[in-house]
Order: sequence, then C-alpha cells, then structure tokens
Amino acid sequence: MHKIWAVMRREFLEKVRTRAFIIGTVLFPVLMIGLTVLPILLDRRETEPKRVAIVDGASGDVGMKVTEALAAARREGDNGAARYSVVRVPARDRVESVRDSLVAITGVQQEGVEGLDGILVLTDESVDGGRIPYLGVNVGSMADMRKLETELQTTLRQERLRRAGIDVFIGMKASREVDVVAQKVTSGKLTGESGASSFMLAYIMGLVLYMTMLLYGVQVMNSVMEEKTNRIAEVLSSSVKPFEMMLGKVLGVGGVGLLQLSIWGGTAMLVTTYRAPLARLFGASPDALTAMKLPSVRPDLLAVFLIYFVLGFLLYAAAYAAVAAMCNSQQEAQQANTPVTLCIVAGFMAMFSLLNEPSGSLARTLSLIPVTAPFVVPVRYSLAPIPIPELLLSMAVTLAGVLFVVWVAGRIYRVGILMYGKRPKISELWRWVRS
Amino acid sequence: MYQNAIELHGISKRFAGHTAVRSLSLTVPRGGIYGLLGPNGAGKSTTIRMILSILLPDDGTVTLFGGEPASRDLSERIGYLPEERGLYPRMKVAEQLTFLGEAKGLPRKRARELTAQWLARLGIADWGGKKVQDLSKGMQQKVQFIGALLHEPELVILDEPFSGLDPVNSQVMRDVVVEIARGGGTVLFSTHIMEQAEKMCDRVAIIARGEKVVDGRLADIKSEAGGRHVALAFHRHQDVAARVLGDRSLVARVDDYGASAEAELAEGATSDQLLQALVGADVGISRFEVVEASLQSIFIAKVGTDAASAPAREDMAHA
Repeated sequence: MHKIWAVMRREFLEKVRTRAFIIGTVLFPVLMIGLTVLPILLDRRETEPKRVAIVDGASGDVGMKVTEALAAARREGDNGAARYSVVRVPARDRVESVRDSLVAITGVQQEGVEGLDGILVLTDESVDGGRIPYLGVNVGSMADMRKLETELQTTLRQERLRRAGIDVFIGMKASREVDVVAQKVTSGKLTGESGASSFMLAYIMGLVLYMTMLLYGVQVMNSVMEEKTNRIAEVLSSSVKPFEMMLGKVLGVGGVGLLQLSIWGGTAMLVTTYRAPLARLFGASPDALTAMKLPSVRPDLLAVFLIYFVLGFLLYAAAYAAVAAMCNSQQEAQQANTPVTLCIVAGFMAMFSLLNEPSGSLARTLSLIPVTAPFVVPVRYSLAPIPIPELLLSMAVTLAGVLFVVWVAGRIYRVGILMYGKRPKISELWRWVRS
Repeated sequence: MYQNAIELHGISKRFAGHTAVRSLSLTVPRGGIYGLLGPNGAGKSTTIRMILSILLPDDGTVTLFGGEPASRDLSERIGYLPEERGLYPRMKVAEQLTFLGEAKGLPRKRARELTAQWLARLGIADWGGKKVQDLSKGMQQKVQFIGALLHEPELVILDEPFSGLDPVNSQVMRDVVVEIARGGGTVLFSTHIMEQAEKMCDRVAIIARGEKVVDGRLADIKSEAGGRHVALAFHRHQDVAARVLGDRSLVARVDDYGASAEAELAEGATSDQLLQALVGADVGISRFEVVEASLQSIFIAKVGTDAASAPAREDMAHA
C-alpha cells in the first residue's frame, strides 16, 4: 500500500508540475470566460447600424411599413442604438435592375463610396409567399438573419391580415405561436430546470467524459512508455510489483484529472454565479448574460457522474497502460492504442443516439456494457430518471468489467514492461494473460 | 545470523525456443564480494532477475537470507543496479532518489535523510536540485548507484556495475562496494571483465550458455588451475617469441595480450626450459614471472574461446 502510494504521489506531483498541466488548467477557464464575455464586448463594439437597402417592388405601402419597422429596431443592451440604417428604393417593374445596381456597391469599402451591408428585395410575390430575398455580406451570421426574420415576420403578418380584411388585433392574437414550456420533474419533484438546460447539461457532461478519458488515458500511456523506454521499469520492478506500479500510475494520473476537472468545474460555477458582476465589469448589461444559463447540478447527478468517471477512467487508463507496456516506442503505442480509442469514441457516439430516447431499449442495453456505460449512464441520468435497481445493476456490471480489464491489463503489464523487441501477437498476449 | 545470502537450487529459465539458464545451482555466502562471470549472453542478467523475483524460474528454487523463498517482499533488504540504467529524465536528482527509497519501503522522511547523506558522501550534494537529463552520463550512473544502495541493503546485486564508467568514478564505486563488504554486507556483481573480478572478489562463479562452469573461492579456483603459468613481456622479435611459445613441448597454451602474454607450461616442461629458450631467441625479455593462473586465462580455458562470443541472444535474455 505504501508503495502504491509512493508511485501515485510521484506520478501526481510530476504531472501537476508540468507546463502542459498548468497551461491547460489555466487556459481552459480563460477561454471559457473569454467565450462568454467576448460576444458581449463585440456586440457592444458594433454600434454602427447595418446599412440595408430595401428594393421595393411591392404594391401598396408594405415597403414603407417594413422600412419603418427596421428603422425602429433597436440593439439589445442599455445603449439601444439603431440596428439598421434603412434606405427604401422604389422599384416597381424594374426590381432586378435596381437590385443588381445595388449589389455592385454592397460590401464595397472605398473612400467616397457609401457601401451597403445588405439588400432586401420586396415584391408582391415575395410578400405573399413569405420568402424574402436578402443579399448581404452578413448572410453567414445566424443571429443577424434570425433578427431580420423576426422583424419581417411581424410586419408582413400584419400586412397580410390587413389585405385579407381581417382585424389585425384579432388576427395577431389568433396566430400567436405555441411553445411547449418544458420543465423537468425528477422523482416526484419539480427541479426548476428547463428542458433545454438539462439537454445542455447532458451534452456538457458527455463531452467532459469523452475528453478526459481520452486525454488522461493517453497520459497514462505516455507515462508507462516513458518508464519503459527509459528502462526505469526494471529498477522499480525489483521492489514494486508490476500491478502496484500500474495501479499507482493510473491512480496518480486519475488524481491529476480530478484536480483539473474540479478546477474547471469550480471556475464554471464561479463564472455563472458571478456573471452579473462579471458582466458589469466588462460594461455589459447583466441581462445580456442571462442567455448563458448553466443548469444546476443536483448532488445525486454529481455522484453518478463521479462514480462513472472513476469507473470509466480506471477501465480505459488500465487498457492504455497495457497497450504501452507491450509497445517499444511512442509511435508504436500510438498505433496500437487504436482499439482502445475506438471504444471511447463509440461510447461518445452512443450518447448522441440516446439523447432522443434516454430510456429506450438501446439506452438500457448500452448502460449494461462496461465499455459504453461510463458515457451513457451519466447522460441518461441527467435526462430522465433511471430506476435504482437498473442503476445498481449497471454499476455492478461496469465494476466487474473494470476489475476484469484491470486484471488483464495487469497481466499484460507484468510481462510487457520488461519485454523489449518485437510487439507481441494476439496469441502471445493471450499466453501472457494466462501465465 | 544466516549463513548463505543467496542459494540457487537447480534453477532454469526458458524463453521462446531457447534456454537462458539451465539447472543452475549456486551458493553465495553472507559477507564478501561474489563475482558472477560469463561472456555476453551467458545468462547472468536472467539469473540476477530470478534472484530478484523480477522473473520467476521455470524450475528450481531461489532462497535468500538463509532459506527464505525469494520474493519482492524481501526487496527492502536488497539493493539492485540493473544493467540497463534508467532514471526519470525530467525528475530532480534528490526527489528521484527519495522516490526510489520509498519504492523500497522506506518512510518518506527517512528516504529524504538518506538521500542527503549519500549525495554528500559521493560529493554531489549540490546536484540534488538538478534534473537528471541535465547530468552527464557518469553523473547519472552515480545517481543510479546511490539509488541501489540508498536503503542500506544487506544484499547488493550489481549487474555490470562498472561498464561505461571513467576510472575516477569507477574507483569511487569500487570503494563503496568494498566498504559494504567490510561492513558485513553481501555484494554480488556480474561482469565479463575478468581483471575487475580478480581484484575485488572473494568468490566467483563462471557461467556460460546458461550453465555453471566453475564456482568457489577465487584462491581455490586459482590453485586448482595450478601454478604452472608464466607471465611474460618482451620488446624485441615478436615473431621469434611467437615461435618459441608455439612449441607445444614447452607451452601448452598462450593467452597473448599484445604487449604481454600468459603462457601455461606444457606437461613435463619447466619454467627454466622456457626461460632458456626465450633467452636463446634474443627477444628482449622485460618480464618473466611464474604466477598463478589469471582469472582471464582460467575463464578462457574453462569456457573456451567459442563461448566468449556466445550466441547473440542478449535481447531474449532481457525478455
């Protein structure tokens, strides 16, 4: 026990002191805060209104109304600057030629030329059909297009009602959209989570599991490889049992992983808790940040997540350790680890398949396969409750799988760590395991 | 107090299609320096690994410290310097040594103290904070050496300890080894350099092709080999000398070392006759001494020159 502890501490301390760990640990939260704050800053910076020309080929005063509506549109936030600067170009019967001449000055940035950002083409046809052509430089921006659509929606809907002779007030009321306001219930209690946020949580958890298994699994592999190529393995194996060496290594790297995860998780929690002051710090309005709402993590979900993180990590780290033990060089190990990596990718993919049906038979089956369970079960649990017996069975099966893999890996490790030369064939590996 | 530090009872080890060690029995008594000699690929490293329980013998048993079955649980009492040296390149020297001590079962605090003591003793106290990768090869060897001895083991096993060492460092380590033996410890080291073994060992075993050729007290082995050896050196007419030494009625065997040679007198021939012949040949004798057989000549006589270049299975011996 003392020896496993010594191996573990060495591994942990050496890993934590590396530049890669420090940079990775610091960089991730910085990136996260950056990604939160940057859009706000950029949005604020962009006070120049979009210059939009409306090529008005429609009959009646639709064109005027659209122009007014766009001109009245305000930016979000406390400054409330105009979103668009609109010019209406009447173009009955010559829509195309006007449009083309305007295209020529769209997105042009030259002195003396007032370039346009976009052109909206209104014809009777487009107004009726509801398909309005927009030619612009910002068509790639989903947010811009959605805002434009919202503005047009209201104006055109009212116009259509008027044309059909229906009272606009009644018509608008009748055509109000329907939204299902989803709220999550877990074991008889309202959680106060929205459906979207529980999906977000599931997704983030899946991603974190996938990333950490892969990252730290490979770290275990490289660390075993280092011991083998530098021939430290032999000195150690005279005093420490190979199994203890492997276990200490896996636990050490696992500790590093947990430390990094908790630093990241802690930062994420701090950022969400203090997002209002944070936003003020950067001069944005607090409500600009409400869009970024991290769901609360229930303690039982956290427990399930941690249990499966530990199980999954042990399983994959042991597999990576065995791979490294039977290889002679980093390059060789990179090839030989493909089966293990594929299992992780398969587990990650499996999560997507059950986002739609978290309690389906596929999801239930995948929860009972040790290779996929560490990914599938936490995601499932975050989406829909899992009956306790099923959860316990899954844990038991996964634990059994972990113990089996660790045992096999330990056997391979024991022989492989001192074996130099040719990489063993499957049949030889089998002999190592049985010997 | 036990009598024998190591006892091997007919141990064998086979690797895919070749036998590295074949029913080898040896006894290494407590105290003193024991040399395990043999050409490359003779099975020295495999034997050592079986003593340390890194490998388990296919047949036979290994007992340590007067009859305890060998296992890693005894590793606290054993120090081991493997032939392939290995240290964590990015770890600091002192931390590395502390870790090696801990791996042997020392409490962390004690391992730290011993690390400081040893670094001071070998005069490299100021290297403790350096990373191993920044040290020269010789320095790394020293660190590795300390790593094997840090926990003050009663049995020290060194696999080719002096290979690749400069004379100064070699001497430092030799002094340490001798000191351990004087203090009642047991040192077993393997080498294929006979001069070294001859100077240091009380007892030796010569193995070749996985089998024991001879073992026992060095003095006994030498006297058994007989006193009919002559150490020679001359500085003229090498070809004429070669002809004299080639006379099978005078000389049974010659180990020619270039500037000097060792001749074994033939049956019935006397040293006087040989001296006479050489004087007559006018070879300019600078040395003529009747000596005990050197370990080198015993080794070659016992093992044969063919075994000195044993099958190149060193890679498998690592398996």
